[in-house]
Amino acid sequence: MKRDLISVEDLSPAQIREFIDLAGRIEALPAAGRCRLLEGRLLGVLFYEPSTRTRLSFEAAMLRLGGRTIGFSEVAGTSVAKGESLADTIRTVEQYCDAIVIRHPREGAARLAAEVSRLPVINAGDGANQHPTQTLLDLYTLQHLFGRIDGLRIALVGDLKYSRTVHSLVHALARFAGVEFLFVSPESLRLPEYVRDAAERPVAARETTSLDEAVRTCDVVYMTRIQRERFPDPLEYEKVKDSYRLDRAALANAPAHLRVMHPLPRVTEIAPDVDATPHAAYFAQVGYGLAMRQAILSLLLGGLP
Amino acid sequence: MSPAEKVLLIPKIENGFVIDHIPTGTGIRILNLVRQHRELDTVVITLGLHCTSRRLGRKDLIKIQAAELPRRFLQHLSLVSPGVTVKRVRDFRVAEKVVLEAPELIDDLLGCPNPNCITNHERGSGTCFHLVDRETRTFRCNYCERHFGQAELGTTLKF
Ligand SMILES: [Zn+2]
Repeated sequence: MKRDLISVEDLSPAQIREFIDLAGRIEALPAAGRCRLLEGRLLGVLFYEPSTRTRLSFEAAMLRLGGRTIGFSEVAGTSVAKGESLADTIRTVEQYCDAIVIRHPREGAARLAAEVSRLPVINAGDGANQHPTQTLLDLYTLQHLFGRIDGLRIALVGDLKYSRTVHSLVHALARFAGVEFLFVSPESLRLPEYVRDAAERPVAARETTSLDEAVRTCDVVYMTRIQRERFPDPLEYEKVKDSYRLDRAALANAPAHLRVMHPLPRVTEIAPDVDATPHAAYFAQVGYGLAMRQAILSLLLGGLP
Repeated sequence: MSPAEKVLLIPKIENGFVIDHIPTGTGIRILNLVRQHRELDTVVITLGLHCTSRRLGRKDLIKIQAAELPRRFLQHLSLVSPGVTVKRVRDFRVAEKVVLEAPELIDDLLGCPNPNCITNHERGSGTCFHLVDRETRTFRCNYCERHFGQAELGTTLKF
């Protein structure tokens, strides 16, 4: 049976663990061994909307494992722009390659692609719904930074209402024992109740509007971007935007082991002067993302170390 | 309940189905639901309003003289009106009866209320909703993964 990666909600804790362990094993391989894992394999990279970071990460992961990629990074000029259905595009592309990565603005597109295709399908983001490889790389980053995920105290900061990164991460982290959350957001961007309700276990969490409490008491501060267009009242945005901005001074009271994560790209929510502190983990996170995507490709394509 | 009581107002049927124990006042709504299913366009249907019922005091009922009830119709009915009883009648006798519960799965019957769901944009794609909470009758779209209450879904019949 082929295996797809469409939604973190499909993954059991054991399967999440499998991806994390495999990423670790692949990172530990000598480069000479790693670059043979997917030799001769071809990945179809279908991006129905641009997302340069995610696409580069998948392409780098495939190339580094010895495979190759084909695909498109936007629909302009493709048969899709001429009105071809998603199902037809998938049935065409699957004639060429061994697995498909899809990014699509419509929610559920990756699930539909996986149903249509006999190949493994990886969801690289479907509208506001899921981006499971981001969630897995976040988990892998935590594992790497702390040697564990159980029992961590994690602050999620910023736009908790609309951020799918945050929603998926809460859902996934709630499966680990003893994880505690601190939800830090402006009043109008609080985490929706249904996200907590959907978690498998009761979520140990507190809500606050204070970034300072997060910095002083948590192991991880996970920052997200607050978008101006999320505020019905621009004045309200002006009032809150600076309270969710992390700079070196704001980290003065942080414990030494505190790590700051961010799904990137950042705009103003993390000041550049944080980059050189030992707390900054967001660029390392990109590197762990590469390892995680290598693990996903190697597991789904059957090129295990 | 004796058969005599049931035929008080509407004729007994030889073969077909009785949708029974419809809460009084909602029979016409259910009849409208029946009429949305084209497969039942040519069968004889009778509606009974305010019939006496031992269980409910008063009830509505609908008799449908069809050989079979379409699966999609039953899913639709159980979604909109769980708790009604469907009885199969053979030779004037009740041969079988089931009380409808909220369906576990709604398969290609309803459109997804989420306008950005792929199923609203891809020609010919099916839809599928799973029951995630029986108590609150909440369903989850298999594609966009959004959750919807029964009331929200009940109005999006897909034909
Ligand atoms: Zn949907």
